[in-house]
Amino acid sequence: MSTNSPNTSTLTISPLITNKRSKDYFQTPPNLLGQTVNPQQNAHHRVFSSPNVSKSVNSKLSTLTSKEDDEETPLTQADKLRLWRHDALMQHHYNTAIYIGDKVLSLTGDPNDAFWLAQVHFANGNYQIARNLLSGPHFEESVSCRYLAGLCLVKLEKYDEALDVIGEVNPFKTDHSVKNPDGGVKLEASMCYLRGLAYSKQNNFDRAKECYKEAVLVDVKCFEAFNELISNHLMSPDEEWELLSELNFDDADNNNELVKLLYTTRLNKYKNVATFEEAEQRLKEEYSLGENLDVLLSRADLLFIQCKFQQCLDLCEQIIKHDELNLSVLPNYLSCLHELGGKNRLFLMAHKLAENYPNHHITWLAIGIYYFSIKKTNEARVFFSKASMINPNFGPAWIGFSHTFAAEGEHEQAISAYATASRLFPGIHLPNLFLGMQYLQMNNLTLSQEYLMSAYSICPNDPLLLNELGVLHYRRVQLAKAESFFQKALTAASTLDSNAKAWSSIHCNLGHVYRRLNMLDKSLSHFNKVLRISRKDVNIYSAIGLLYLKMGKISKAIETLHVALSIQPNDPIALDLLNKALESNLHINNKQLLDEPLPQRSAFQTPINKPSRNLKFIGEDNKRDLDMIAEDLKQGEDSSDDDEAVMEIESE
Amino acid sequence: MDFDQQLQLRFALIESSKVLQSLHLYHGAKWSSEALNGLCPLTNEQKVAVFQQSQQRPPFSFLPQHSQEEFLEFTEQDKLLMAASYFSFKEFDRCAHVLKDCTSPRGLFLKLYALYLSGEKTKYDETGGVLGQQDGKVQNQKLTEISKELENYGKQSTRGQLEDPFLLFLNGLVAAKLKDNAAAQECFYKSLTIYPFNWSCWSELIANLASFGEALNVLNKFSKNAKFMNNRLYHVMLRFFKITISQEFFQQFNELYEDLSYLLDIFPKFSYLKIQKALISYNALDYVAAENIFDDVLENDPLRLDDMDTYSNILYVMEKKSKLAFLAQFASQIDNFRPETCCILANYYSLKFDHQKAIMYYKRALALNRNCLSAWTLMGHEFVELKNSHAAIESYRRAVDTNNKDFRAWYGLGQAYEVLDMHLYSLYYYQRACALKPLDKRMWQAVGNCSEKLGEYEDSIKAYKKALSVSSEYDPVIFYKLATLYQSIKDDQNAAVYMKLCLDEEVNEGVTTETTKARLWLARYELHHQNWQAAYDYASEMTHGTSHEIEEARSIAREARVNLNRNG
Repeated sequence: MSTNSPNTSTLTISPLITNKRSKDYFQTPPNLLGQTVNPQQNAHHRVFSSPNVSKSVNSKLSTLTSKEDDEETPLTQADKLRLWRHDALMQHHYNTAIYIGDKVLSLTGDPNDAFWLAQVHFANGNYQIARNLLSGPHFEESVSCRYLAGLCLVKLEKYDEALDVIGEVNPFKTDHSVKNPDGGVKLEASMCYLRGLAYSKQNNFDRAKECYKEAVLVDVKCFEAFNELISNHLMSPDEEWELLSELNFDDADNNNELVKLLYTTRLNKYKNVATFEEAEQRLKEEYSLGENLDVLLSRADLLFIQCKFQQCLDLCEQIIKHDELNLSVLPNYLSCLHELGGKNRLFLMAHKLAENYPNHHITWLAIGIYYFSIKKTNEARVFFSKASMINPNFGPAWIGFSHTFAAEGEHEQAISAYATASRLFPGIHLPNLFLGMQYLQMNNLTLSQEYLMSAYSICPNDPLLLNELGVLHYRRVQLAKAESFFQKALTAASTLDSNAKAWSSIHCNLGHVYRRLNMLDKSLSHFNKVLRISRKDVNIYSAIGLLYLKMGKISKAIETLHVALSIQPNDPIALDLLNKALESNLHINNKQLLDEPLPQRSAFQTPINKPSRNLKFIGEDNKRDLDMIAEDLKQGEDSSDDDEAVMEIESE
Repeated sequence: MDFDQQLQLRFALIESSKVLQSLHLYHGAKWSSEALNGLCPLTNEQKVAVFQQSQQRPPFSFLPQHSQEEFLEFTEQDKLLMAASYFSFKEFDRCAHVLKDCTSPRGLFLKLYALYLSGEKTKYDETGGVLGQQDGKVQNQKLTEISKELENYGKQSTRGQLEDPFLLFLNGLVAAKLKDNAAAQECFYKSLTIYPFNWSCWSELIANLASFGEALNVLNKFSKNAKFMNNRLYHVMLRFFKITISQEFFQQFNELYEDLSYLLDIFPKFSYLKIQKALISYNALDYVAAENIFDDVLENDPLRLDDMDTYSNILYVMEKKSKLAFLAQFASQIDNFRPETCCILANYYSLKFDHQKAIMYYKRALALNRNCLSAWTLMGHEFVELKNSHAAIESYRRAVDTNNKDFRAWYGLGQAYEVLDMHLYSLYYYQRACALKPLDKRMWQAVGNCSEKLGEYEDSIKAYKKALSVSSEYDPVIFYKLATLYQSIKDDQNAAVYMKLCLDEEVNEGVTTETTKARLWLARYELHHQNWQAAYDYASEMTHGTSHEIEEARSIAREARVNLNRNG
């Protein structure tokens, strides 16, 4: 196989290996590590052990050594210069490397030498020089040179040119089953990835997604592309799992099982939780990677999606303990802290990040979340927007940015921001959910339903989403549907062990639905559950008061409404209801009280432990009248339903 | 109750005071130990016999025994000890943290109880003072967490529900705070059937009962329970409960006195019982008897401040100013910063018409103990005196929040709203007061008055008639009111009947404004119906009243006389 093939990696043209290749065809790669790691070992050796290049290298590349040590051929002059150049690069002696590299190139004119010289320039940050060097006509044939030229152009933000160089579509439409002989990442895959990167920088996310997918399909080892796909949520959950099933893990050789398991844990956690659990289990047992941070991170993702914020937080803290500035754990960690009200820790973390990563988007996200937690929306917005300016593809920042608008009731702006987020991240249901919520608040039920349903198609068991769907149907007076959604939400909440807050609003909404369906007892039991688990809320007490009123339990209604008013005096609904209740108290209860026979004085003699005559609540004779009055009351109540049926909408 | 049973009772009380002490249920422990010391003292020979007996076999334990739990407790012993000492220092969160992973029932109880108290503490810290901005709006934030954990623990245990009496008690406490009274009562009931010697639990149960009917239901449930039927010791506890609820709901009947004397036989020196007796007398308006009992209690236990605020109420009602002053001095010498002392002082100042100061002391009492039952009501009264209806309403409302059996507070609420001309509201409160004290004519009068103001004359008449039927002697005021009400609905005949009744009361009550007015009205009525003689009689008997009224009477008399003469 020629050295200029898209199916090889840079390992094939590495100066450390090329001079061995002349005799012995290099079949099995020494190890999986790509070029980035390999040089480190090399550099290490150069510094601390024998200056003999080939020996030191060979001792590492164990499979090669046995054969090649015996029949070592003398190195040519160019080879020696190449090694010099290479070592200088590894030790970051860029001037040396450039100087020598230039000489080698002039001596040989080999595209591979051009490639390595360009690498030096690239590492030195001189992308334009590297690009210029590689643009020479001789080098365009070389795949590796083209790749590097493209990379330089991407770095220089010349995306169109980059696409020109690497081709807008994959020029190597060959059979991907060809295995990479050297064990590195196939250059073809890298180029696909680069193409994807360029497209995504141009905001062409569909093309980008296709390119990334192609990259992973060409070579499963191209984690870069896989990571882009997953961490930016470019695919819908189904697509992700489909992709996983299409991947050819043979490229990873005997590590195929391990890689497959690792990739499995990275996928979204909306679906196939069992598969994920199994993969995690195997990683733990067979590879003892249970303590590996990435495995823990996946577990944290799962917990977060299941709304188990406390457990997620614990796990995140465990990760942070191992690795204080692990950036990938931070989005989950910060969200959990926000959910659980850990303002103080948010403050600390934000400061720590600002000290260490003043230019990283996550820092500004942390600061934004902190301000959002302490309800300073304006400041929060500034910092969220800063984060998304640094990295426009950063989802959490966009969502936070939109939240600041939503919190202030600025629906239009919130919607446009959420819409951006939803465009950027088709793989998560949250932006669509929030869009639906915004439209719901604006009473645009059609659009709301559209967005909520699309969120539902991604994630069918988020209690918050199900709750919103219930509210939507409630608004449309499709009570049966609303009920079924709320019930689903309730099951979801209980299986996912959601926190009490989400739970109570579902119960509250169910209570309203049953109230409208005139199933008063059921409704009451749900409201009571809300009271059991949650804070004091005027609306709930008012609703219960209304229920009692409908049931004709006037004194209970009055009591409850008083509680409501004691929480928030001047609440118009509660006041209105209370006046109604007091009026009916005058008309109904007072009469009952007065018609009731007085407890006889002889009742004093009734032994206390025998049941005394039960107090009758409704005088038998005028029961009919009372019922009629109560009926009137009910009808009067229904008409006033609409103005007080404002249901509580829980938003993140 | 024979000696053997008394002995068992003694052991039960010893055990309970030890156990409650170790669980930091201080009120229960105090009650048990007081009860223990209130028993008949043992003679020397008895002491020896008891000692020998207890050496031979360990006394029977009333607590449920689970060997598995004992082992768990043993393994967690070190942590439990540390947690207990933190608890004693009131470092509740720290205590809970130490016991974070404990699974033994005792560890769990201590942890959750510490959490509960910590939540209560934060709640009080956040309310910002008595009647402050946030007062009554803050909730204990830990409740949900506690109830969830208890629920989970119950699910995990062998029979799928909580079985430890103390955990049940705590669950009830939490449910009560969450206003889920039915569940709370159920928990307390279960807890007590398992371990009845926990007075903390009994008193929480009593505080949870909203009406006498409810109390009777619970009592029936207990009476039907085989344990309480068969075991004499259990029965003793049930009698305490019975007495307390009858006292709290103002019920009086013969059996109550039987129960009282039965218990007093067993516990001759138990102050709690004596105080219950005093309170029963107080409720029956027998102030002298109540005063005597309190004097007796103070004599035997001179440094006791518990319930002394009630004593000061009695002295206040009896207007024994000097004795109240003495009690105030005495109490403030013992401890200036006990809620009871503050209440006594407040009562004293109130009697001296220094309402501002009285309010200050009530506020202090409430700052020391939020649940000081009477202070809220009494403070409401003081605000009424100062004509600050809104503040009065606020404090009455707190009073009924803490104890909804307090008819005075309900009545006070009605009055305060009446002052504000919100009769619909005040009617409701009077109704509540009525339901609590249906045999008090003032309640019915108030209801009648309100109904009248609201234009419901017939209801008003009914109410006043009820007031009449419950009062032992006839009241001309009520008669007059009824008569005017009948007049309002144009029922002159009935009006005349009641005016007559009112006038008849003059024999017993002497001349009052009502009787004068009734007389004048009758004179006018007879004149209208051309009964000249009767009109003349009424008018001429008119000797009291305003000059205007007398003038009118004279003119009626003159007109009647003229007509009489003409006809005669």
